[in-house]
Amino acid sequence: MAQYVKKDDDRDEEAEYSPFSGIEKGAVLQEARVFNDPQLDSRRCSQVITKLLYLLNQGDTFTKVEATEVFFSVTKLFQSKDIGLRRMVYLIIKELSPSADEVIIVTSSLMKDMNSKTDVYRANAIRVLCRITDGTLLTQIERYLKQAIVDKNPVVASAALVSGIHLLQTNPEIVKRWSNEVQEAVQSRAALVQFHALGLLHQIRQNDRLAVSKLVTSLTKGTVRSPLAQCLLIRYTSQVIRESSMNSQPGDRPFYDYLESCLRHKSEMVIFEAARAITELSGVTSRELTPAITVLQLFLSSSKPVLRFAAVRTLNKVAMTQPMAVTTCNIDMESLISDQNRSIATLAITTLLKTGNESGVDRLMKQITNFMSDIADEFKIVVVDAIRSLCLKFPLKFRTLMNFLSNILREEGGFEYKKAIVDSIVTIIRDIPDAKEGGLLHLCEFIEDCEFTYLSTQILHFLGIEGPKTADPSKFIRYIYNRVILENATVRASAVSTLAKFGAMVDSLKPRIFVLLRRCLYDNDDEVRDRATLYLNTLGGDGSVVETDKDVKEFLFGSLDLPLVNLETSLKNYEPSDEPFDINSVSREVKSQPFAEKKAQAKKPTGLGAPPAGPTSTVDTYEKLLLSIPEFSTFGQLFKSSAPVELTEAETEYAVNVVKHIFDKYVVFQYNCTNTIPEQLLENVTIVVDASEAEEFEELATKPLKSLPYDTPGQTFVAFEKPEGVPSIGKFSNVLRFIVKEVDPSTGEAEEDGVEDEYQLEEFEVVASDYMLKVGVSNFRNAWESLSPDFERVDEYGLGPRESLKEAVNTVINLLGMQPCEGTEVVAANSRSHTCLLSGVYIGNVKVLVRLSFGVDGAKEVAMKLAVRSEDELVSDAIHELVAN
Amino acid sequence: MLLAVLIANSEGNILVERFNGVPGEERLHWRSFLVKLGADNLKGVKNEELLVACHKSVYIVYTVLGHVSIYLVGKDEYDELALSEAIFVVTSAIKDVCGKPPTERLFLDKYGRICLCLDEIVWKGLLENTDKDRIKRLIRLKPPTEF
Repeated sequence: MAQYVKKDDDRDEEAEYSPFSGIEKGAVLQEARVFNDPQLDSRRCSQVITKLLYLLNQGDTFTKVEATEVFFSVTKLFQSKDIGLRRMVYLIIKELSPSADEVIIVTSSLMKDMNSKTDVYRANAIRVLCRITDGTLLTQIERYLKQAIVDKNPVVASAALVSGIHLLQTNPEIVKRWSNEVQEAVQSRAALVQFHALGLLHQIRQNDRLAVSKLVTSLTKGTVRSPLAQCLLIRYTSQVIRESSMNSQPGDRPFYDYLESCLRHKSEMVIFEAARAITELSGVTSRELTPAITVLQLFLSSSKPVLRFAAVRTLNKVAMTQPMAVTTCNIDMESLISDQNRSIATLAITTLLKTGNESGVDRLMKQITNFMSDIADEFKIVVVDAIRSLCLKFPLKFRTLMNFLSNILREEGGFEYKKAIVDSIVTIIRDIPDAKEGGLLHLCEFIEDCEFTYLSTQILHFLGIEGPKTADPSKFIRYIYNRVILENATVRASAVSTLAKFGAMVDSLKPRIFVLLRRCLYDNDDEVRDRATLYLNTLGGDGSVVETDKDVKEFLFGSLDLPLVNLETSLKNYEPSDEPFDINSVSREVKSQPFAEKKAQAKKPTGLGAPPAGPTSTVDTYEKLLLSIPEFSTFGQLFKSSAPVELTEAETEYAVNVVKHIFDKYVVFQYNCTNTIPEQLLENVTIVVDASEAEEFEELATKPLKSLPYDTPGQTFVAFEKPEGVPSIGKFSNVLRFIVKEVDPSTGEAEEDGVEDEYQLEEFEVVASDYMLKVGVSNFRNAWESLSPDFERVDEYGLGPRESLKEAVNTVINLLGMQPCEGTEVVAANSRSHTCLLSGVYIGNVKVLVRLSFGVDGAKEVAMKLAVRSEDELVSDAIHELVAN
Repeated sequence: MLLAVLIANSEGNILVERFNGVPGEERLHWRSFLVKLGADNLKGVKNEELLVACHKSVYIVYTVLGHVSIYLVGKDEYDELALSEAIFVVTSAIKDVCGKPPTERLFLDKYGRICLCLDEIVWKGLLENTDKDRIKRLIRLKPPTEF
């Protein structure tokens, strides 16, 4: 990379030519002393500044001392009357960005320039001052800046306005005072002044929705002079549309006509911006979409790559949600497959894969085949993913698509790319039964020449599951046995297991498989030999054709049904002795995991990573766990499990958190306990719960934890009965009770006798939101309309003075425990009103939707209007009660 | 925000780079990424023919002018179309200063002026001036003609 970093001036030929040949920072700094000469040589000074700029532009940096020295010398150049030099001085001061204590040296010179009769001096002085200024200086020059904004010279006005945009980041309160001047500048006849003023005015007012809406209304009716400003206006317009759509009725779309009229603008940039704005309207109808798609289609055949790229990128996005709307562009998009720009070609292909119809698949695949050979892996992966989706969409076309995948599997490519292909083939085999036989053979061919151990083993495992179920399993054996002969030990071991699976499942093949397995007994790797021995012995390797015992199959190939972490811990703790390791001694209790990990688990995996049974969610895991405990097995269906609530501080002796499991008539508290003291073993661990502040709850059962060794989490449970279907609430205080035994750290053995002890835990509450499941809806308006207005309950509440509107909104969301929809949980800073849409499922499986409208006044008093619709009017009332309480 | 303006010679050596709002530690990545992008795609491209790419939510528009290649990187409002507008201003300004699509030598000879042009065109990530005649006058501290 070094060759990119700096221009290499050592090369002999180049050296003669470059004016910066052999340039060196030290020497240039020396040269900069000419700035101090009493008789200034302007030409020479300009040359030195150019050299300094060259160094800075190459990423060179000056030390503080060097920069200060140069800066002080440069300030002397203000004495020169040479115009060219003065322009260079302005630039180098900005580049040197002097520190606050040095700025003072130039301020008077710059202030003088700022009041100069020559306009361009003023413009430049403004830019330099704003670049190097701090808050205090800014108040001094504020008056001049305000004047400059409305200056009749567009260069001066633009300089002040762009400075304003930058200063807004650091000194917002000062810049906000300029809004009258900026407002005037928005009406300027100079195109760029209007553009800059519009940008600044919007930034000043971005949190005041009403003002933005007014700005948009007036400008969309008035004249906008430059395409750049027009683009800004379109963006602001779509923002206004987005914000107002929450309150307006369906079908009534303000400003759509304006956007549509921009599609006929003479500047391509404006047309495109308007088209994109239309495609991004929420709930856009096909009638609204059509004109935008038409102009984008024209751009597809533009001679300018940038336009083609922009158009295909936007159409690609539209195709994700509305593929039918884009089909009219398919022919134009097909011609883009051969576009020189690979980004355009890839976008075109992935769009086509989303929009194409069944009859066009073959032709499309033919075109893609030529294209695949000359794009990078990252583009190829995108294409492969799109092909998988296409195949699942048109299952009848699996042959073409599978052939394509198998062909590209044989070509060169990195691991990620190959993995994407293999995953796709596996997904297709799983979802399309007819594709199984052919797909498995493709995979077999791939492992004949596969350089990735991971992929080989995964495919062998998959073959073991699916291969024996095919019509002619024998044809796979050759491929599998070849692995035993040709591959590394990891792959060989996998191949042995796969062979054994075929032997166990297909009786007719068994004798021949045994012959092969026996050959593996002489393998030079332990694991391979061990596996072969195990399989031969358990499957009855005497060569006779007998049906393999179901238990043996289950033992060899069934799922372990154990948390692997627990098995690993037990195996590590197992000491070789006469007593064999007993798998039944491994705890089946699921170790509580951090929330994020669970989330990752719940994500639907694809391809080889997926267990055949499909993904299990957190709730499933908890439900299984609870059902496996006899005391709780009759509680019915689990409605909701809360996130863990910590009951101890971090780094205490015992770490305990609680998960609240809600059933219709019961609640179960699962206390996850960890013992963090190596010298202690806890036994008979229970939680004594005081429910005196939870009147409707009656304690029913307790499941103690037999033993809690150091650093091995365990669970104890307490169950309560509550009125059926009622969202009872209450506060619970908890004490951890146990028998503690001393452990000898050297031997790890615990003493015989223990002492009973207690440990105080924090309280926790069962709150109303525990009875609400966060379930989102994709289209809130449709969902709202689908619920009967008869069960709608509306009321208004005063929330009193709050810290901010955002805080009030979050409090209500947390109180209700519902899922915010369409990003409405985000409150714009400083906004005066907000609408928030929530969705959820209430206990008893009742769908609930909530529309919250907030308003805040000057004294930060927040008022809220709550509208609830649900499938049951009692539930609508219950939500109001919840808020009222 | 216009995140970067980068000008390199035909071998990928940097002649000018101006970053805005890009942390120091990321600049090196951008520099090598852009130069590689150019090396992969700019061969045989005509003068001022625009190429485009995107990387996550960041857009890149780049081109060749004489013996130098020019890259603009932007995000948000500076998408591919705004960048193509900006790169057009940059290329016209350079052509104007150099009198023709420059060789590397010519570019370096006019280095100071080119820096002044870039200063007029992009100021800390915002597009300020777009008219080449105006820029030509501004770098000599002459008032714009249309005024």
